[in-house]
Amino acid sequence: MSYRAPVADIRFVLNELAGLNEVGALPGYEDVNPELADAILEEAAKLAENVIAPLNKVGDQHGNKLSDGIVTTAPGFKSAYQQFSENGWVSLRTPTEFGGQGMPALIAMATEEMWCAANVAFSLCPLLTLGAFEALEHHASDELKATYLPKMASGEWTGTMNLTEPQAGSDLAQVRAKAVPVGDGTYKISGQKIFITWGEHDMVENIVHLVLARLPDAPAGVKGISLFVVPKYLVNADGSLGERNDVSCVSLEHKLGIHASPTCVMSYGDKGGAIGYLVGEAHRGLGYMFTMMNQARLGVGIEGMAIAERAYQQAVAYAKDRVQSRELGSDNPAPAAIIKHADIRRMLMTMKSQIEAQRALTYYAGAALDRAARHPDAAEKQKWQAVVNFLIPIVKGWNTEQVNEITSLGVQIHGGMGFIEETGAAQHLRDARITAIYEGTTGIQAMDLVGRKTASEQGRTARALLAEVEAVAAQLKTQGLAEVGDALDAALVHARASTDFVVGQFEAQPKAVAAGSVPFLKLMGIVLGGWQLGRAALVAKQKLADGDADSAFLEAKLITARFFAVHLLPQVGGLSAAILHGADTVLALPEEAF
Amino acid sequence: MSILVIAEHDNGSLKAATLNTVTAAQKIGGDIHVLVAGHNAAAAAQAAAQIAGVAKVLLADAAHLGHQLAENVTPVVVELARGYSHVLAPATTHGKNLLPRVAALLDVAQISDVIAVESADTFVRPIYAGNVIATVQSSDAIKLMTVRTTAFDAAATGGSATVESIGAGSDAGKSSFVSQELTKSSRPELGAAKIIVSGGRALASSEQFHGVLEPLADKLGAAIGASRAAVDAGYAPNDYQVGQTGKIVAPQLYLAVGISGAIQHLAGMKDSKVIVAINKDEEAPIFQVADYGLVADLFTAVPELIAELNK
Amino acid sequence: MKILVAVKRVVDYNVKVRCKTDGSDVDVANVKMSMNPFDEIAVEEAVRLKEAGKASEIVVASLGVKQCEETLRTALAMGADRAIHVETDTELQPLAVAKLLKALADKEQPQLVILGKQAIDDDANQTGQMLAALMNAPQGTFASKVELAGDKVNVTREIDGGLETVSLSLPAIVTTDLRLNEPRYVKLPNIMAAKKKPLDKTTPAELGVDAAPRLKTLKVAEPPVRKAGIKVASVAELVAKLKNEAKVI
Repeated sequence: MSYRAPVADIRFVLNELAGLNEVGALPGYEDVNPELADAILEEAAKLAENVIAPLNKVGDQHGNKLSDGIVTTAPGFKSAYQQFSENGWVSLRTPTEFGGQGMPALIAMATEEMWCAANVAFSLCPLLTLGAFEALEHHASDELKATYLPKMASGEWTGTMNLTEPQAGSDLAQVRAKAVPVGDGTYKISGQKIFITWGEHDMVENIVHLVLARLPDAPAGVKGISLFVVPKYLVNADGSLGERNDVSCVSLEHKLGIHASPTCVMSYGDKGGAIGYLVGEAHRGLGYMFTMMNQARLGVGIEGMAIAERAYQQAVAYAKDRVQSRELGSDNPAPAAIIKHADIRRMLMTMKSQIEAQRALTYYAGAALDRAARHPDAAEKQKWQAVVNFLIPIVKGWNTEQVNEITSLGVQIHGGMGFIEETGAAQHLRDARITAIYEGTTGIQAMDLVGRKTASEQGRTARALLAEVEAVAAQLKTQGLAEVGDALDAALVHARASTDFVVGQFEAQPKAVAAGSVPFLKLMGIVLGGWQLGRAALVAKQKLADGDADSAFLEAKLITARFFAVHLLPQVGGLSAAILHGADTVLALPEEAF
Repeated sequence: MSILVIAEHDNGSLKAATLNTVTAAQKIGGDIHVLVAGHNAAAAAQAAAQIAGVAKVLLADAAHLGHQLAENVTPVVVELARGYSHVLAPATTHGKNLLPRVAALLDVAQISDVIAVESADTFVRPIYAGNVIATVQSSDAIKLMTVRTTAFDAAATGGSATVESIGAGSDAGKSSFVSQELTKSSRPELGAAKIIVSGGRALASSEQFHGVLEPLADKLGAAIGASRAAVDAGYAPNDYQVGQTGKIVAPQLYLAVGISGAIQHLAGMKDSKVIVAINKDEEAPIFQVADYGLVADLFTAVPELIAELNK
Repeated sequence: MKILVAVKRVVDYNVKVRCKTDGSDVDVANVKMSMNPFDEIAVEEAVRLKEAGKASEIVVASLGVKQCEETLRTALAMGADRAIHVETDTELQPLAVAKLLKALADKEQPQLVILGKQAIDDDANQTGQMLAALMNAPQGTFASKVELAGDKVNVTREIDGGLETVSLSLPAIVTTDLRLNEPRYVKLPNIMAAKKKPLDKTTPAELGVDAAPRLKTLKVAEPPVRKAGIKVASVAELVAKLKNEAKVI
């Protein structure tokens, strides 16, 4: 099943909902405008559709092969990656001083959606490179930056993040990898790291590993972890590649999904220690990692929404093609395409409405990231930073929880054929599963949301956003869209009560709040997603009144918002009940009874 | 009204496309003259004279017309065209190369790929790769058009028109023929083939898959495809596979031999223009998408088919 | 050596076009538009000739509505040096396009003009040949290989049944076939750079060309849908149907 980048919807969200023009008005983004964005989207779409998407199934079937420490990627990946990097896509959002294009996150995210939908396993390689790039850009010395950043921006070298160890997963305080000073300013790194995405592969000549490790004098816990650059090949003073470093891939994981992305067990120091270079100051490594956390979590949120889009496209094509049973209420006795059947429609609308809500909310968060980074007014900057901070666990958690449901609906629409791998619907379900786990599970996102992002600021940002929802609901009611406005109003009651509960009880009964934290995250996802679809409906209504020619697209926006209002927003009541009254039964059963 | 038809020929013989074009001319109605422009092309002109309904054959014969370069043939046609209401050429690469050049010098539009004649000035032609059929009307004094040969039957032979030699102009001196390389009868690629013969598990062995299908494919100039079942069973190599996970094809003619028609296979070939299914199971799903279904044992039907094509 | 390349903005090849309900025309409102694929090949060929040091400048021209500018920007991003937009809302048919391009060629004096062999909307396959006639220049249509050799260009053409190579004196017109090359994907920095390359505007009136259409479209319709299949009784009947009814063999 081929992929078509949803350029029209992306364009609508960028221009009408996320505020591309306002982002273009920020200092340093003078060249950014809808025309440039269009040109970038069109070219990204071509590459995603014609080069990267066709490798999705191949990658799933072949996976990667490890032999003598060499990881061979699936057929076609290497040349596709070369085309991708040579054409400058790795560096779309990296600063121009290191050879990047310096584009805002908002535009970069739109292209990242396409890479993820086309082939999420492939997309992880540049995503990790970008993460490593940003860590070095913010915290490394000028010398390290000069050595590594231009090659990473060009995509000639890729990057990895080495955090996890067998005993240190979500809890990085337990990291044991060692770093011993050599005396010449370098360090000998040793230890084993697991779950290293694209840790070893044959697509580029060098791989830049960022590794968390402890110095000999390090204090225990999170305050004793330092960050090191450990290149696969050491880099000579003239920039050429020198000796092979003492780091290797010793095993590849067998996974449920994202088969084409090599998930490596990396071993450092088997022959005496890998040469590493300290990034920033000693013992501050974990803090440095957290500076990139926002971007990374937003990135995984995009993955969830993008895989959902791919699954939706495949389901629509199948539903139009597959003929089974006559249409209810039709005079035609002949079997009809299953898209004519009501429950298939319900499933497709459930997929479509959530994807569009997520796209709008995700890009809104992206624009907030750009505003927080560049807004000339300090108060505005601060306000948008709070919005980003609040939205990130929601975008990450809600998009990736829902993609499990959405890709599952994709399989369901295919009926028995969906369960057959050859059809391709199952791959999306398998590929999507990891997104709610890595970069912080949904549970961790939810705790971040109720704690740092809500309770610790007395719900200020939550309430400010809910006030915006209320304003949109009021406007909807004056514009003949009361069905959507009323549903938002009803949901707001529950959202506010839940927010009050989280803010009021977080100190007093933290475990009770924690028990309802994932329902709270989902509730916020649904309310804020409904808000974005409500905004989309207002724009659509206005454009239709203005005689905009693309009436089919705009009418669909109205129907999608109405579907979401009737089918998704009422779920907020149930979630709220679980948040307010659910903790007792979550915790009541004695451990032995499990 | 009188109509000039540009003959498709290789000097020694007349190509069948000319016959279809004459039929299109007959639909317009009027005196039909055929131009044979070439070198030592008397034989082609004689063949044109035998087409029923042709009143006269004009032969422009000169060395510089030998390879029918558009630069040299165009002045001959331009000179003649002013005496006709319509000028038709087959929509072959030759006709498509020549006729627009003539049209520009006559300052008239050209109508490409005509598939039906509605009246002397109104014609039907496909646009958007055949996804839309347009009816167009010309206001030019001389109507120039290329004709899609498959849309018109071949004109009968048995006529006896006169052959008249005409002026052949001179070498324009701007172009010259270097070489020609006609395709050998090697099998076309699956993705680009106009005809595909595709086999399924009913072929029952690799030997039979190749032994039964290859002579048919060679006869039709077709590529060979296979269902996944046949590939998985090892009867055909992987790159033969047509279907959702193999190649998606849309040839003019798709012959499914011993293929039951799993959904995944149908997804890879359902856009073919004409689908033929040969299968001994009359309930096989492939018959639901086939334009022509033959319920028969493929091991007898395919050799019969080759014999019939050889007739 | 200067190369002139003509590019047309057409409905994207992935779009399934529909006819307007009144059958007056194809409904192209709000559908995705792209550069005609054959014209992409033409731009690519020009860029390759320049990269090989055989051409010094590539001028790309597009004729039609305002949005043709986007198509020109794409060509500039692929590597053309400057663009000319002949802006008009009039429906342009091949003869008018050829006349307009002739007027541009008179000004620009290119040694080579490269065009797509046909546009995938009207499927006319005429403009290159017409332009060659108006310029009194030789033509290498349906090219699968283009080799410059001094003051000549050798063009290998895809003809029915095989390939033909012709030698043309410059200036010459080449129209591209699918196998000539595979167009590149645009590099991101070149998208930005293309915004800064010159794009000149003119009109048919300024060029002194009457661009009025000569052919009138009376109606458009979608082709008849596939008829329900039939079972044939014998191989002989099958062959007869394929020959006489389906006309595919």
